[in-house]
Amino acid sequence: MGLLDAVFRRGASPAKRASDDDLFDDEFQRKLDYLALVSKRVFAGRMRAERRTKKSGSGVEFADHRDYQPGDDFRYLDWNVYQRFDRLLLRLYEEEEDLAIYLILDASSSMGFGDGAKLRYAKRVCAALAYVGLANLDRVSIVTTTDRVLERMPATRGKARIFKVFRFLREVEPEGHTSLEDALKTFVAQHKRRGLAVLVSDLYDPAGFERGINVLRYNKFDPFVVHVVDEAERKPKLSGDVLLYDCETGDEREVTITAKVLERFEKAYEEYVTEIDRFCARKQVPHIRADVNIPFDELILRVFRRGGFLR
Amino acid sequence: MILAGLSFAQLLAVFGGAAAFATALYILKLRRRTVAVPFSKLWERILRDKEATSLFSKLKRLLSLLLQLALLALLVGALGDPRAAASIIKGRSLVVIIDASASMQATDVPPSRLGAAKEEVKRVVRGLGGSDRMLIAQMDAVTTALGPMSGDTSEIERALDHVKATDARADFPRALRFATDALRGLENPEIVIVSDGRLGEAVDATGPVHLGDVKLTFVPIGRGKRNVGITQFSVRRYPLDKTHYEVMLEVTNTGPEQEDVELTLFGDGTLVDLTKLRLKAGERLPRFYPNLSGASRTLEAKIRPLEGSVDELPADDRAFALLPERRRAKVLVVTPGNTYLEAALLLDEYLEVTLSSPLEYASKYATGNVRFDAMIFDGATPAELPRADAIFLDPRGPGSPVKVDTEIKQPGFDRIDRKHPIVRWTALDNVNISRGHKLTPEPGDKVVGSSDGGGPILVTGARGGHKFVAMGFDVRDSDLPLRVAWPLLLLNSINWFTDEDSHYISSFRTGEVWRVPVLSSSGQAKLKPPEGAEMLVPVHEGRAVYMGARAGFYELTGDESATPEAPSKDGAQVKTAFAANLLDADESNIEPVKELVVDGQKASELGGFHVGVRREIWIYLLLAAILLTAVEWITYHRRVTV
Repeated sequence: MGLLDAVFRRGASPAKRASDDDLFDDEFQRKLDYLALVSKRVFAGRMRAERRTKKSGSGVEFADHRDYQPGDDFRYLDWNVYQRFDRLLLRLYEEEEDLAIYLILDASSSMGFGDGAKLRYAKRVCAALAYVGLANLDRVSIVTTTDRVLERMPATRGKARIFKVFRFLREVEPEGHTSLEDALKTFVAQHKRRGLAVLVSDLYDPAGFERGINVLRYNKFDPFVVHVVDEAERKPKLSGDVLLYDCETGDEREVTITAKVLERFEKAYEEYVTEIDRFCARKQVPHIRADVNIPFDELILRVFRRGGFLR
Repeated sequence: MILAGLSFAQLLAVFGGAAAFATALYILKLRRRTVAVPFSKLWERILRDKEATSLFSKLKRLLSLLLQLALLALLVGALGDPRAAASIIKGRSLVVIIDASASMQATDVPPSRLGAAKEEVKRVVRGLGGSDRMLIAQMDAVTTALGPMSGDTSEIERALDHVKATDARADFPRALRFATDALRGLENPEIVIVSDGRLGEAVDATGPVHLGDVKLTFVPIGRGKRNVGITQFSVRRYPLDKTHYEVMLEVTNTGPEQEDVELTLFGDGTLVDLTKLRLKAGERLPRFYPNLSGASRTLEAKIRPLEGSVDELPADDRAFALLPERRRAKVLVVTPGNTYLEAALLLDEYLEVTLSSPLEYASKYATGNVRFDAMIFDGATPAELPRADAIFLDPRGPGSPVKVDTEIKQPGFDRIDRKHPIVRWTALDNVNISRGHKLTPEPGDKVVGSSDGGGPILVTGARGGHKFVAMGFDVRDSDLPLRVAWPLLLLNSINWFTDEDSHYISSFRTGEVWRVPVLSSSGQAKLKPPEGAEMLVPVHEGRAVYMGARAGFYELTGDESATPEAPSKDGAQVKTAFAANLLDADESNIEPVKELVVDGQKASELGGFHVGVRREIWIYLLLAAILLTAVEWITYHRRVTV
């Protein structure tokens, strides 16, 4: 029965899914060039080929003061401050290094729900961000996750490697169920070099999306959340007596859909999205909601405006 | 409890099949459409409350199935038509006789007594027990069963709808005999009379009606008494002047109070006379309208109560009459010359007289080429019998319709058949005759006048389909031509030939068997009543036989030239009309009777019919099924059972 259910319920979905062959066509690539150009001109000043990490180091750019701790290098003591305020403060300098950009693509079944619009959209967003990163000479790496890390594209640099990115993304198929915490724990364990971690996901994590984001935060990655949403999921076209099943977990539930129930669902959906917004705002995690109905290039510009991706 | 419908085994089979079907449908209904969602946790949030009551939900679903099964059980139970055993035993056999006589048209109770009676019977029908059986019969001049004896209330009510008012009086004994016959051998027989009670004694020609062990119940209808009606209405033409006529009518106040009415007389729809009358309680007021003239054929009298007066029965407020149609009669007089005869025939201007000598008759008219309504042979008997009705004055020879016997000296009309139409209004007793001849009638002939010493001198009869009158003396040998009786005798004879009889009935009485003269070769004639469709009525001995119950003008259609010997071949039709009236002072008296006594048994009051309470259990089972359906519908739409 379970096998039949699996065949009947899940078999139809991929058939409807649009082909990924034309996902990164010429038109898409022209838009990427445009975005790379715009990112350099419009957001100039915050764009540097070389980036600075937040950790203080041996750079030349003054960053901050901190109290002297025994064992610190006397050479970095600010004697002028000591004279004026009678306090021993240590001068901190920003350490310069090239930035590692990790694009974490959620490839769970929920991303491929329906006609797979969310996953296709997420792939394009990843490709665009990767191109901008490659164009800025950053080290770009892509990881696909479900409840684990599925595939990895090793860190690479330079615009010419974008086709490798395309090939990698084309191969991504939705499967498995979401567990951001488990997957990102694996991710941080595998990636010792900290950097910008762009999480592109619908955040449908039964265990809670917060845990996954917190894993990145606690491991000193700079998380950036691109929350992919589909308006069709907010207002599902359902009616009557139905048996709902979760496309990832297979959980079933009998429901009689009425207008009132749909209204309550929409409200619950809004609450869930708002929770994500609040969490990211509270934790100062750059966050952007990506509606699949918005053109991806417009979304990329929003990402730039939002800050955090380009500095 | 017993099952009057399907047997228990059949019910069980039906229920089993239906329940299996319903359960299968129910299971199919429970198998829901599966729909994938990307994140069921969101649905869990809104369904958390429902989840807490999932056990109760399952119970509710079960309850829904049980409701449907209960519904089926009720419907199947209704198919069984279960009845209490007690009700079967106590079932009654009822014959309800509804009085549809003229007095039941009284409007003292709305809408009329008959309407009120039907309502009463409807209440009785609704209170019928499950095992009661009822037959509805209409009582007027005849008693008509309007349906079979049945326990089906809808069938009984349909029969009740066919009860129609008539303008006749009720034949109560006949109705009782019908009812007792219908109830013979049935259990708990009961006759229910629904009437205003003015039914007279339950006695007919065979004696009083005996009810035996049949229970008699009386439902009195009506309360009013005030009525004025036309109780007599007659019209006739004057025998010697048929262009004029006279009308006699009688208006009767049957009520207990003085009433003022307006009496109107119409001739062919045109007002002839209008009079205001004041009638004391119970007064009968005759009115004569002499010497009326004109072309009037139909006459109608109407009364209308004036202000302050009450007339509660409209059925007797109109009366109808018809004058006999006048048409010219062609008469051939074969005579060597008779002034008395010719002078007498001049009295009726509607006679078209042709004089002929015996020789001229033999050469010109004996062949029958020229048609006459009547022929008069004065002392000149033809060689063969004429092909027309004929009067033979002093017949002689072989051509006489009767044998002319010996001569009689000074005969007289010592014995006269005064009922014969040819001698009506005549005084022939002291007619002096010097001599005459004895006439010997044949079998079937009628001796109208005869002399004590000599024998028959005035004979009537028919030969070859034609009537004849034979008088055995020459009128000139008597003083008859000097008397009024002479022209009357001639004209009566001609009228008898042409059926234009002074004995004509200007109107028939409703509720009686009418015998209306009509020509018909097929043995039936078409009758068109005042209301309703045309019908065929039998014709017996030249008269259409019919019992009518509606007042008004009737039209009868027969064959124009039909005679028993020479039936009409060309299909030509002739229409005659006649009128019918109630004209019954007893029926006009509408004071209701509160008690009814038959065969020494006083009719009891109606009882045992509890309106609104039916003993058929299947009705309640059906109602319960409908109620359950409503509950199921409401709970489903309010999402209680889903």
